[in-house]
Amino acid sequence: MRLIKKGAEADIYVTNWNNSEAILKIRKTKNYRNSILDSNLRKQRTIKESQTISEVKSYGIPVPMVYFVNLKNSSILMQKIPGKPIHDLSNSKIISLSKNIGNLVGILHNNGLMHGDLTTSNFILFKNKIYVIDFGLSQKTNKPEDHAVDLRLIKEILNSAHAKIMKPSWENFLMGYKSKVGLSRFQKIINLVSIIEGRGRYATVV
Amino acid sequence: MIGLGIESTAHTFSCAIIKKTGKNGKILSDVRKIYRPPNGEGIHPREAARHHIENSSQVLSDCLDEAKINVNDLDLVSYAAGPGLGPCLRVGAVVARSLASYYKIPIYPVNHAIGHIELGKLLTGAKNPLVLLVSGGHTMLLAFLNKQWRVFGETLDITLGQLLDQFGRSMGFASPCGKNIETLANNSSNYIPLPYSVKGNDVSFSGLLSATKSIPSRNKEDACFSLQETAFAMVSEAVERALSFTRKKELLIVGGVAANKRLSEMLKEVCRRHSCKFFVSPQKYAGDCGSQICWTGLLENQNKKGVPLEDTFVTQSWRLDSVIINY
Repeated sequence: MRLIKKGAEADIYVTNWNNSEAILKIRKTKNYRNSILDSNLRKQRTIKESQTISEVKSYGIPVPMVYFVNLKNSSILMQKIPGKPIHDLSNSKIISLSKNIGNLVGILHNNGLMHGDLTTSNFILFKNKIYVIDFGLSQKTNKPEDHAVDLRLIKEILNSAHAKIMKPSWENFLMGYKSKVGLSRFQKIINLVSIIEGRGRYATVV
Repeated sequence: MIGLGIESTAHTFSCAIIKKTGKNGKILSDVRKIYRPPNGEGIHPREAARHHIENSSQVLSDCLDEAKINVNDLDLVSYAAGPGLGPCLRVGAVVARSLASYYKIPIYPVNHAIGHIELGKLLTGAKNPLVLLVSGGHTMLLAFLNKQWRVFGETLDITLGQLLDQFGRSMGFASPCGKNIETLANNSSNYIPLPYSVKGNDVSFSGLLSATKSIPSRNKEDACFSLQETAFAMVSEAVERALSFTRKKELLIVGGVAANKRLSEMLKEVCRRHSCKFFVSPQKYAGDCGSQICWTGLLENQNKKGVPLEDTFVTQSWRLDSVIINY
């Protein structure tokens, strides 16, 4: 078992499962956190993530396969996707793939699921397919406001980590998203995104 | 290069003088007068502005005396032009404009939030940090990229400072209440589960505030303890997310809430986990002060000649991620 990433929430190990490589995601205890809060969060998110991955698979979205869930140490054993996170691809690739990401997010929302952590690190390109990972913060919801929060987050990420290509990628993302959710829903959500941004501290009040 | 900075965005009126040599700055004086609202109340903008007007000349002359500097020795004057409370901002701007026009000193309007960050960098020596700005006005995670501070996460509603202040006021304290809450929290270890809301790198505190207010008042200490534990865990998680996403190797905490020991303790642990260096503004300069404004003015002076008097302004809403930084 080899540690490959100390993530924000969990440690990610590469290990073996039936003679193939697998990912073991362990949500370790965080000593800085109150122990009751800590164990609640770790347990809830492990359950949520494993359930959601299986559900999302049924929408036709590429996700890793879940092999085993261990609630004693809040760990999930799952298929390893040997691709590259979108975050690490070239700018031109990110711009063009943004449309596909928009598509995927549209499908999630159509099925009443908000991802909760839409960053460019949580989409992995492998064999021309984009896999979606990290559903620990996901939520079953059809509320337009919740879907708008999802969009605002990816917009914030594009605007910060990918500032130079923010405009074309965001436009492509929206195009892909619109094609899945339909025009009237799209306008409603995008309107809410500006409202949420307007609530931000010291946002320019028009 | 000797600068005078004037801060008056909220409850603090402060003047500071810094001497800048090369990249180093030495704070010669930093004098403050803080407006205290009556118990159970928050800042009343008009009353705070009145307080600033009444104290401004004393603070200014004390600041010059302490630094042993004559007004004529000043190379520039900078003032906090926003974001903040309109009536308060105007006081600082008027003082700065008067000095600039009477003594012919170049004048610089400065973003208050950038001031927190720049002073934090100067005093801690952080080079390329992820910045956590936590105060009454801000709760933001920032990193510098391509001439601008970019927001990687922030609060979607009230700030960490407001959360503590509003809860503190409901118990009858006067803002700022962080210190009182921290003291009460230290007497408890009984955790009452409260709503925990992290959305990606963003946080939301309003639900937490309502839920904490509904804890019966006989459990004051438990409420403070649980509020701190929950809110700080949320912030710590957002920091962890931003650290692992940006892959920064330094964390710098600035702003009034940076003075909280428990928050520092938790974030220190976060940094250990991510083998990242931990910097926190010295307590004396974590909150609002003239030094932050002065130092930012001195930095801007490196490639800007000052602003014509008729172009000096104040603005209540001025996001720091809209400021282009050329120094």
